[in-house]
Amino acid sequence: MTMLKVNNRTLEVTSRPDRTLADVLRNDLGLIGVRVSCSEGECGSCTVLVGGEPCTSCLMLVNQAEGQDITTIEGIGSQDDLHPIQQAFIEEQGFQCAFCTPGFIMSAKAFLAENPNPTADEVSVAMSGNICRCGAYPYIVRSVLRAAEKLRKSSGQQAAE
Amino acid sequence: MGTTQRNFSVVGKGAHVKDAREKVTGSLKYAVDLKVQNMASGKILRCPHPHAKIVRIDTSKAEALPGVLGVLTHEDVPQNDWESAWFNYRGKALDGTGRFVGDDIAAVAAQSEEIAEHALELIDVEYEILPHVLDMEKARESGAPEIRCEGNERDPYIVKWGDTDEGSAQADFTVDCDIFYESQQYAPLGRNACIAEWLGDKVTVWTSSQTPSELRDGVHEALGIPLSKVRVMAMPCGSSFGQWWSNNFMIITVLLARKIRQAVKIELTNEECMATVKRRHLERTRGKMGCTKDGQITFAQIDHLIDNGGYGFKDDVGFFCVDMWGKARNGHYAVHGINTNLVTAGCMRGVGDCTLGASVERLADRLAEKADMDPVDFRIKNQIVAGDELRMQHSRDNMKGNRDAYIASIPPHLRKDWPELFHLSAGGTRAILERGAEAFRWKERWKGWATPHTVDGPLKRAVGVGTGAHVCGVEFEGSSSAMVRINPDGSAKVHCAVGRQGRGSETTQCQVAAEELGLPLDMIEIETGDTDSCPWNHGSLASSTMYRTGWATRAASNDARRQLLEIAAREFFDGIAPEELDITDGEIHPKEEPRSNRRFTFSQVLNELRSETLGQTSSITGRPAVPMPPSTTFARQFGAQFAEVEVDVETGKIKILDFVAVQDSGTVVNPQVLKNQVIGGAICGAGFAIYEHLVFDEETGAIKNANLLDYKLLRCADFPHQAQVLFEESPDPVGPFGARGAGESPIAAGISAVSQAVYNAIGVWVDLPMTPERVVRALNAA
Repeated sequence: MTMLKVNNRTLEVTSRPDRTLADVLRNDLGLIGVRVSCSEGECGSCTVLVGGEPCTSCLMLVNQAEGQDITTIEGIGSQDDLHPIQQAFIEEQGFQCAFCTPGFIMSAKAFLAENPNPTADEVSVAMSGNICRCGAYPYIVRSVLRAAEKLRKSSGQQAAE
Repeated sequence: MGTTQRNFSVVGKGAHVKDAREKVTGSLKYAVDLKVQNMASGKILRCPHPHAKIVRIDTSKAEALPGVLGVLTHEDVPQNDWESAWFNYRGKALDGTGRFVGDDIAAVAAQSEEIAEHALELIDVEYEILPHVLDMEKARESGAPEIRCEGNERDPYIVKWGDTDEGSAQADFTVDCDIFYESQQYAPLGRNACIAEWLGDKVTVWTSSQTPSELRDGVHEALGIPLSKVRVMAMPCGSSFGQWWSNNFMIITVLLARKIRQAVKIELTNEECMATVKRRHLERTRGKMGCTKDGQITFAQIDHLIDNGGYGFKDDVGFFCVDMWGKARNGHYAVHGINTNLVTAGCMRGVGDCTLGASVERLADRLAEKADMDPVDFRIKNQIVAGDELRMQHSRDNMKGNRDAYIASIPPHLRKDWPELFHLSAGGTRAILERGAEAFRWKERWKGWATPHTVDGPLKRAVGVGTGAHVCGVEFEGSSSAMVRINPDGSAKVHCAVGRQGRGSETTQCQVAAEELGLPLDMIEIETGDTDSCPWNHGSLASSTMYRTGWATRAASNDARRQLLEIAAREFFDGIAPEELDITDGEIHPKEEPRSNRRFTFSQVLNELRSETLGQTSSITGRPAVPMPPSTTFARQFGAQFAEVEVDVETGKIKILDFVAVQDSGTVVNPQVLKNQVIGGAICGAGFAIYEHLVFDEETGAIKNANLLDYKLLRCADFPHQAQVLFEESPDPVGPFGARGAGESPIAAGISAVSQAVYNAIGVWVDLPMTPERVVRALNAA
């Protein structure tokens, strides 16, 4: 038995030592927003936050994540209550087929936490750990810039309150 | 300028795509995400040899492994050929012969994927190794190993006009080429899976597919069961671009499930997606082209080979560049499809126009340099404009002999409102070239052929332009249809089996229906995957979704609207002519009095149908009343793109600095959806131009880079984020609200724009893909 802290809940999973975090999140916990494509850490589709850091969960064994806060796309917003980054991706349509989108959004979340006011060039480099085969890159950059603006506004409001 | 202003309520508006929330929250289910109850896991045994016949196959050890539910071999499989759309596959599901390394040989179903994988190792196969051939030129020689019973080479597909000898004699300048194209891989992000479940003698198939109807047809052909017993439920695709149509692993899943009498899911690994399904063809162009001193092309003589791999069966690659460069006075294009013992090749985004099209662009560029002409001007001089005759007039099986016989065979009442057949009905490249040149400041930035505008140590920067064309859907395999149902509450549903390839066509089809019906967009939903509820549709391929399916969706909506207005006129407007009514925001009112208080909702009208006297139905179903005109005979899409690159002549690395893409796809139904498609095409083209290619083992043909680590794709920082997309909207006389196809000309244009820009930077033409190594080699050889 392994105890995982996923999206603010503590959950119990049966785990063999050879299982990846992505496998457990998808198949035991039903978190299908953790997309698996290359299985070798190249495409970034399976990006989740572990202790706030972006990780390709296809390369991480489940036991390595034990005891740390794990956040998946399901943990940051829902269809009825979107996260500002998700809202920004919709407004700029930073996707086509969207298989890669949860990974991009999780990478963006970690990046914007470190750099809340980035330039377009900085966004472009920061988003290069993920692959979008549909080629929505220019609109992904715009999505992240718009998300940064939304997040700055909302944190500004919070500070004012 | 360039935009026809029309008063649309839904078309042309940047509606967010309908599934946007599912997409950004990760809740959209692709086939890999689906599970059905009591589902077994399947795995496929793959051929380790390039060409081998099974002499003996012993599955007893595998079947004895605990957890194994059954093994499928060629001995269990009906020996019927099945075909994927556009001859992307022709063969049997399993026939006891492997035709490439990785070909399907047998399949195992087990309680878990791990057990199934283990069981594959326990299948004992004795192969007779057959002679094999990997090189398409060798495969067409007499005495070459026979890969298929039909022979290795298809009849050539020929397009010709005028007399190329005369054209050659008229030429002041002549250039020739011999260009080899490596194979691009779809390299899908997102794998595919297929689930098949039988209930009695009926099967349901869930998979990610762009062509649900074609898959249903394939299951019917392979198994020899009635179409009525096959239901395909197409799920959303990850990036597909032609890969996920109907694929043999889907047929195998259906057969495996039938054998074990239990639902089975086969999920392909990333390596299987990249090495065992299909890829773009390896291609080779040998060609000659000539022009006069003032830059008029006098002839184009092109001989083009495509390798179909093991199971492709194509004789042409859809090269609409021949029409785009149609002002050439004389032409002879021949394309030869040849089988090899490599993984099957099929249609990938912009098939033909990315390769043969790039060859034609390169020949033309070299002529333009000799004639000392600007490449924009050279294109304008030699490329097609609306009204010009098309060059694609070769008789084909489906054209009943020849052009005149074909036209004569169409009932006159059908063709009376059609555009002139075999002539370009709208668009062309002039407007997009001029618009792009202005936006890109081409005249300022282009310093002449082979002349960089900036040299900064080893860094040379220059600009380039490319054009691309493609068809807007094809009619040969059947007319794509759609159905529109208006429900008793006044909501409507579109049924059209185009699958969900991902770029937003669910939304754009609904926009077409909303515009025609006069309903708000949020009152319309769509079903694109279920072949039991949708009429036959060719699917999302050949850039047909907006053009041909959009036409059908509009026609079906129009039929539903007509029925609705007839009832409304009779029951609510004292029997006035239905034509005197109109619909605004879901309310029916007299056409002449848009603000009249006398207005009725759809649901009021439909509830009237429930009365005893009128109770034939409580919903209205609309269908196209006539076939869509054969669009290959008049409709084309065009893209013109402008690139600025920087080449490091020491390392050979190419960096793309700036990009403008101009597209003419007629009326733009959803600007953001189309921008994404255009820029996505440009990026896929740029990737093919500078990085992407499969590496085949020289001895066996096995793919050595079937993974995203070794197969390089462009990333975010590899393409300028300030890239611009502009539209010219020459309205189409046939397409829905003037729209045409869009998805495939952008990739073709992108390849040539980048390729020409590199030449202008370093003064040497480099073979594609222009990897750093190839750039350095080309510079050293020069």
